[in-house]
Amino acid sequence: MKPRVVITGIGLLTPLGLRHETVWQYLQAGKSGVRRIQAFDPSALPTQFAGEITDFDAKDFVDRKDRKALKVMSRPIQLAVCATNVALQDAGIDPSQLDPTRLGVIFGAGLIASELEELGPAARLCTNGQPYFVDLEKWGRDGLAAMPPLWMLKYLPNLLACHVSILHNAQGPNNSITQGDVASLLALGEAWRILQRGLADVMLTGGGDSRLNPLSMSRLCLFAPLSRRNDAPEEACRPFDRERDGLVPGEGAAVLVLETLEHAQRRGARVYGEVVGFASAFDRQRTGEVLAEVIGQALQQAGITPEAIDHINAHGYSTPREDIWEAAGLVRVFGRNNTRVPVFAAKSYWGNLGAAGSVAELAISLLSWQQGVLPPTRNYRQPDPDCPVYVLAGRWHEPHKDFCLKVALGERGHCAAAVIRRCRQEN
Amino acid sequence: MRRRVVITGMGAITPLGHSVAELYRQQIEGRSGVGRITHFDARTFPTQIAAEVRDFDLARFLGQDAARFEDVGANCRFALAAARQALEDAGVLDSDVNRRRFGVYLGTGEGQQDFFAFISLIGRCYNPQTQTVDTRRFTELALQELHPGREREQEPHTTVGHLAEYFQLEGPNYNCLTACAASSQAIGEAVELIRRGEAALVLSGGSHSMIHPFGVTGFCLLTALSTRNDEPTKASRPFDALRDGFVLGEGAGMVVLEELEHAKRRKAHIYAEITGYGISADAFRITDSHPEGRGAIACMADALRDARLKPQDIGYINAHGTSTQVNDRVETLAIKKVFGDYAYQVPISSSKSMLGHLIAAAGVVELITCVMCLQHGVLPPTINYEHPDPECDLDYIPNVAREKRVEHVLSNSFGFGGQNVSLVVSRFRD
Repeated sequence: MKPRVVITGIGLLTPLGLRHETVWQYLQAGKSGVRRIQAFDPSALPTQFAGEITDFDAKDFVDRKDRKALKVMSRPIQLAVCATNVALQDAGIDPSQLDPTRLGVIFGAGLIASELEELGPAARLCTNGQPYFVDLEKWGRDGLAAMPPLWMLKYLPNLLACHVSILHNAQGPNNSITQGDVASLLALGEAWRILQRGLADVMLTGGGDSRLNPLSMSRLCLFAPLSRRNDAPEEACRPFDRERDGLVPGEGAAVLVLETLEHAQRRGARVYGEVVGFASAFDRQRTGEVLAEVIGQALQQAGITPEAIDHINAHGYSTPREDIWEAAGLVRVFGRNNTRVPVFAAKSYWGNLGAAGSVAELAISLLSWQQGVLPPTRNYRQPDPDCPVYVLAGRWHEPHKDFCLKVALGERGHCAAAVIRRCRQEN
Repeated sequence: MRRRVVITGMGAITPLGHSVAELYRQQIEGRSGVGRITHFDARTFPTQIAAEVRDFDLARFLGQDAARFEDVGANCRFALAAARQALEDAGVLDSDVNRRRFGVYLGTGEGQQDFFAFISLIGRCYNPQTQTVDTRRFTELALQELHPGREREQEPHTTVGHLAEYFQLEGPNYNCLTACAASSQAIGEAVELIRRGEAALVLSGGSHSMIHPFGVTGFCLLTALSTRNDEPTKASRPFDALRDGFVLGEGAGMVVLEELEHAKRRKAHIYAEITGYGISADAFRITDSHPEGRGAIACMADALRDARLKPQDIGYINAHGTSTQVNDRVETLAIKKVFGDYAYQVPISSSKSMLGHLIAAAGVVELITCVMCLQHGVLPPTINYEHPDPECDLDYIPNVAREKRVEHVLSNSFGFGGQNVSLVVSRFRD
C-alpha cells in the first residue's frame, strides 16, 4: 500500500497580500492585484501593468540569523524562501524537530533575470555607446573585477530549493522543475510520488517567480501574448471571457507542506486536503484531446468520475488561443456548459505568477474548503462561444462536493492535472 | 514486483565526438577534448580553455528540418541531434509505439543570454554617479534591439518542448535544472515514472553549454575553473594533487528508457538496466559541498539499497570527479564511507578528465559511458593523474584504460547548491 499524502500547510505571497488571511480578505472584497507597474518606469512598454507585490520585505519573514543570506538571493528566491517559512508556520512544523533526511524540497522555478545595477559598472567600462558592442578583451581584464563574486549564484533556478534546504536542514530529495507555468504543479506531482515511494515524511513544494523587472518585462513584451489593456489593468486578466486580449504577468510564491497522512496524524496536524490523483502530458496539437486524457487519468487515480468534482480550478491564461484549448479539454471530460461543475480562474485576480502560479491558484481551492465559499472569477462578463465552460462569475460558490480538479498548462503544449480531496474533520 | 526499466537507445554530442561510439572510443584512448576557447574571444579571461563541441552541424542529423530551428540555442541543437540518435538507435523514431505513453524528462540548462545585446544596452543606460539604470531608456532600447525569437528560446523549458513537438512524444514532459546533477536526476525520476506505470518509454538525458561570456564570467568569479591556460589538455586532472579547478565542457546525451516488457514485446535491443537511483541534499552551503560528504554518502547508499545490491557488487564507479580540490577529496571520503575496505579495490575514474564538465548534461554522458563499460568490458581512465594526493588514495584507473568485465556500475553526480544523485546501471539479465 502506498502511503496517503495530505496537505497541511500553505504559504502564499501574492499581489493580493502576503498572508492567506489577507489574500482572503481581498478576494472577499473583490479586489484585484493587477495595477500599473511601480517597480520601475514602464512607460516605454506596450504592456505597463502586472500583478505586482508592492509591500514585500524579506526581512519580515526570516529569522535574524538568516537575514545575511538574503543578500545573495534574487527576488524569486526571496519570495520562495519567505513563502516556505509561512507554510511551515501554518503547518505548525518546526523543521528542527523532524528527521532531516526525510524532509525534502521540490520547487518549480523559472528563468531569473540578472539585476541590471549589478552589471552596470562592468557594462559601462566595456561598452562604447554602440548597440551590440562589448569590448570582450576589456571585459575579461577589468569587467569581471567590477562584478560581485557570487553573481551567478543569485540567478540559478535551483537556488530556490537549495536555500530552503539549507535554512531548514532538509537533506531529503531536492529538485527544481523548470517548466514554465506548469512548473509548480509538476513539482507537486513529483513531491507526491516521492512521498508515496517512502523516501520522505514531509515535502515542501511549490515555487517562486518574478518577471517584474525591466529585462523580463521587455522580453515578455517581445515574445509573449500579453494583454495591452493599459487603461484598465484590473480588468485585463479575463480568462474565458469573450473580450480577453492576452495574459497578464505577475509575481509571487506559493509553498505547500505535503506529508504522509500517518506523519500528519501522529502530530495531530490540521489537514487541508489529500492529493489523490496527478497526471501530466504534452498536448502537441493543443486540441484538448491529450489534456482530456490527462484529466481522465488524474480522476481515475482518484477513483472518481467527473460528477464528483466540486469545481475546476482552471489554468485560465486569458489569451485568445490557449483558453480555447483548455476549454476544449474540459468540455471533452465534463461536457458543454456543465453548470454542475463550475470553473474558477484565480489569475483573474493577480495575473500569471509564472512558475509559482499553479500551486498558488490551487491554494485558493484549499482555502475555499476552510472558508466554506469559493470566490467568483473576476472580469468574466461575456461568455465566449468558443469556450463553452461554465465560469463561476458574479456570485460565490459553496463547495459541497469533496474533490477539486486543478489544471495547469504551458503554452507549447505542456499540461498537468491534479485531483485534491477535501478532508473534513471527521476524516 | 516493481516494473523494470531498461535502456534501449543512446545518443551523444560531446567534445569527444558526435556519437556514442566516438565518445567511448576516445575515452578509452585517453584523449582530452580540452583546448583554447574559440566560441568567443576569451584571451583576457582568467580561464581561456574549455572542452568545446567542434564541427557540429544540426543538418547532418535533421536534414532540411534543421532550418526550423534557426532561433534555438546550443542546448536545443545538441539535444535535438542526440535525441534523434537515441530514438533511431532504439528503433522508435517513426515506429508505431504509442506516443501518449512516451514521455520526456530532461535536465537541460537555461539558454544563453544574448551577451552583446544585453551588456551594450546596460552600458548605455547605467549612470555611475547614481549607480542606477535608466529603466525607461533600457526598456525602450531593449524592445528595439533584443531578438524576440532568441529571447524566447532562453526559457529553460523550450528544449523539452521542441523535442516533444518534433519527435511527437506526448507523454509526461518535465525539465529539471539542478546544476551539475540535472541529467542524472532527470533519468532517475524518469525511471520512477516508468516504474509507476505513468509512461512506457521516456526520452531522458540533458543538454548544456555554458561556454559563453556570461557562463565563463560566472564560474571565473566563483574561482571554480582551472586556470591552466598554457596546458589545456592537462587542465582537468581529477584526484591529482595539483588539480586547480574544473574545465567547462558542453554537449548533450540522451537515452531511451523503456519498461522491460514493452521492450521485449517489440524485440528491442537492450543495452542495460537501470537498477538503482538515490537522491539527497547536502543542506549545507550554496558555495561548498558538505566537508564530510554527508549528502554524497546518503545518495550512494540509497542507490545501492534501491538496486538491492551490496557495495561489493559494484565493479566500477564513474565518479563526479570534477578536478576541484574540494569535490575530489570529499567524494573520495564518501566512497570510503559507503564502500568500506572495498573502496580500495573498486576501480574509479572520472570522464571529466577528458570531457570537461558538461554541467547539466554531465550525468547522462557519464551514464552512457557506464553502459558502454558494461557492454565492452573496458573501463576508461582518469587522465592527467600524475601526482598522488594523500587524501585521494583510491584506484582511479590512472591514465590508461583497463579491461575488466563488470556487472553493476555506479555513476555519481553532485550539483552546485547541494543536490546529489547516484545511479546504478546493471548488465541486463532476464
